[in-house]
Amino acid sequence: MNPSMKLALLFVVALEISFTTIVSLNVALIIIALIYLLFKRTRLKTLGWLLLVPLLPAIGLWSTQYINGTGDKTLMAWVLFTRIYAFVFTGATFTLTTNILQLADSLEQNWHLPAKFAYGVLAAYNLIPKIKHEVEIIRAAGRMRGQTLSFWSPQLYFKAILVSINWSQNLAQAMRSHGFVEDAPRTHYRQITLRRRDWAILIGGIVLLQVGVFIIPWY
Amino acid sequence: MVAIAIEQLTYAYSAAQTPIFDHATGTFPANQFTLLTGPSGTGKSTLLELMAGLMALAPEQGTIRYGHQPLTAIPAGERAKSVAMMFQNPNQQFAMDTVENELLFALENQQVAPDQMMARLTAALDFVGIRQLQHRILTQLSGGEKQKVALAVIVAMDSDVILLDEPFASVDPVARASLLKRLVTLRDQRHKTIILADHDLAGYAPLVDHVMQITPAHQLRALPRTDWPQFFAAFEAAHQPDWQRPALGVETVFNFQQLQLQQGRHVLLQPTDLQLPRHRNLLITGANGCGKSTLFEALVRLSDYAGTISYRGTDIQKIKRKRYAHHVALLFQDAETQFLNITVAEELAQSQKYASGDYFTPERIQTALSQLNLAGRDDRVIYTLSEGQKKKLQILLMLIIQSPVLLMDEPLKGLDLKSIHALVALLQTTLAVTHQTLIIISHQLTGLTPLIDHHLHFENHQLHYVGRGRHES
Repeated sequence: MNPSMKLALLFVVALEISFTTIVSLNVALIIIALIYLLFKRTRLKTLGWLLLVPLLPAIGLWSTQYINGTGDKTLMAWVLFTRIYAFVFTGATFTLTTNILQLADSLEQNWHLPAKFAYGVLAAYNLIPKIKHEVEIIRAAGRMRGQTLSFWSPQLYFKAILVSINWSQNLAQAMRSHGFVEDAPRTHYRQITLRRRDWAILIGGIVLLQVGVFIIPWY
Repeated sequence: MVAIAIEQLTYAYSAAQTPIFDHATGTFPANQFTLLTGPSGTGKSTLLELMAGLMALAPEQGTIRYGHQPLTAIPAGERAKSVAMMFQNPNQQFAMDTVENELLFALENQQVAPDQMMARLTAALDFVGIRQLQHRILTQLSGGEKQKVALAVIVAMDSDVILLDEPFASVDPVARASLLKRLVTLRDQRHKTIILADHDLAGYAPLVDHVMQITPAHQLRALPRTDWPQFFAAFEAAHQPDWQRPALGVETVFNFQQLQLQQGRHVLLQPTDLQLPRHRNLLITGANGCGKSTLFEALVRLSDYAGTISYRGTDIQKIKRKRYAHHVALLFQDAETQFLNITVAEELAQSQKYASGDYFTPERIQTALSQLNLAGRDDRVIYTLSEGQKKKLQILLMLIIQSPVLLMDEPLKGLDLKSIHALVALLQTTLAVTHQTLIIISHQLTGLTPLIDHHLHFENHQLHYVGRGRHES
């Protein structure tokens, strides 16, 4: 499916289940997401982690609601419990099957977002692991000059911001030196198509969701 | 193909008092290989950036012409077709994640038809001889490999003029020779115009057609061929001295037991036992990406390793980080990494405040500053200094700190011969008093040799001493 359409559909789903209290709907969404992930050949180990990691916060929410909640405590406790899993699994249908490059391509080609923006997002994403190591390096550089930079030290952030500004300038220069010109026409090696099918899935998905929310008499 | 003419170029950074160029005029002939030289900080990078159109030039600041056409008249979209640039820092030239995606990005920008892209991409990779890197992630490549990829991008873009700003600053001799060979081929077979800025001029004499100098009077001057022999002689590789291996039983500063280094799943150093002597200056050489910098990161506990590293008898993992940092400091390869403040004066003050010894009195600091040609820049924002000035300031800051052990990663990077001599002299007079232990990684040996006592070579995932004398391991 087209990456940006998939993201849009998931956004609507997330928004809607945030305001509904239907346990069966959440469970249905989890099952659909699970089937999709299995269909996309997600490794079972990854699925195991997806089940395990949210367990603690889910139990936490469940027990808080069950013990301290008001109104229908049992129902609300299970709504929150299943909602966490619905978020995680529907989210995973995007993060585990789509990479950021495809999303950037789609935003640029299908929605005509400025290429500068699409590549900026992409570059920022590629920088995340570098930033972590860079913070360690900044702290080491401080220690070697007698200064302990704690995680709340403004100097650490000043330095990190300087490094980021530097990186962004270098990135802009790298892009320009490789022929990138803002708003200039470009060709695309990876063609991301936006088919009727993508629209059909988006609209169909949203309609089905409304059926689930308002029409089916869930218990 | 067209010659590039610089006409009446006058340029100054707003913060600097003196101009970098003062009505400079000169011509870079078409289809030829021109070497651009000048001491560090004289404006080689600035000139190349101006010629590449990466920095704008106002009409009153002079004109840069490609043939008859002023650079400013070439539409931005067509500039990449005319001129491409390769940067000094191999980490600063890529926008994408993998080699393939970076090349595609450049081809897309040139509006190459998608069905022709893969052919051009593989042709460019084959030309540079790095087809095997096509699907690799850029951040996992060594400096030399990154520069080869940068050249492949330029080949794929097929730009007429290729500008290179000290492209070999962190490239080992083998990769450097291979890159130079490709540049000569680009000139001879594809009629490219090549302009390369460097200050380590070893090996260029037989390759280049012209030498263009930036003079102390901020002018451009073509060096007459009759002056070449004398000019290049200063850089010809001095024969490598035959250093001694450390004697048995000397006091050691670091002791490696089964030390093993890895980068991802790639083994850099196989389990090694080795002693590094105290109060001696040690040189570490080895090809690009072999793991020299990773060894330094392990020594200052910035990266993981297997086995044990002991500092004067204690496992470094058992020493408090803060205390250990007072003993073992690292001069980072990139000078900016070292800086913590904003102005030169603030940086100097910080080093003085936390110095482990009192050798560097304010007078000695002033002397050192003028020795390094850095005097009178107290209020300058460090980030506006030239790369060479940053490097010299960085080294001085770490000398003032006077940690018992100083690891230096490519301390000569970006420095001209005059600065190197000044720096080595400063190091010698300082070490004579402070008795620090220096461990130096350097590709460039010109001028550095008087400082070195022992030599370690990194090769085939092994680290061993070279030279005369007996030493096990």
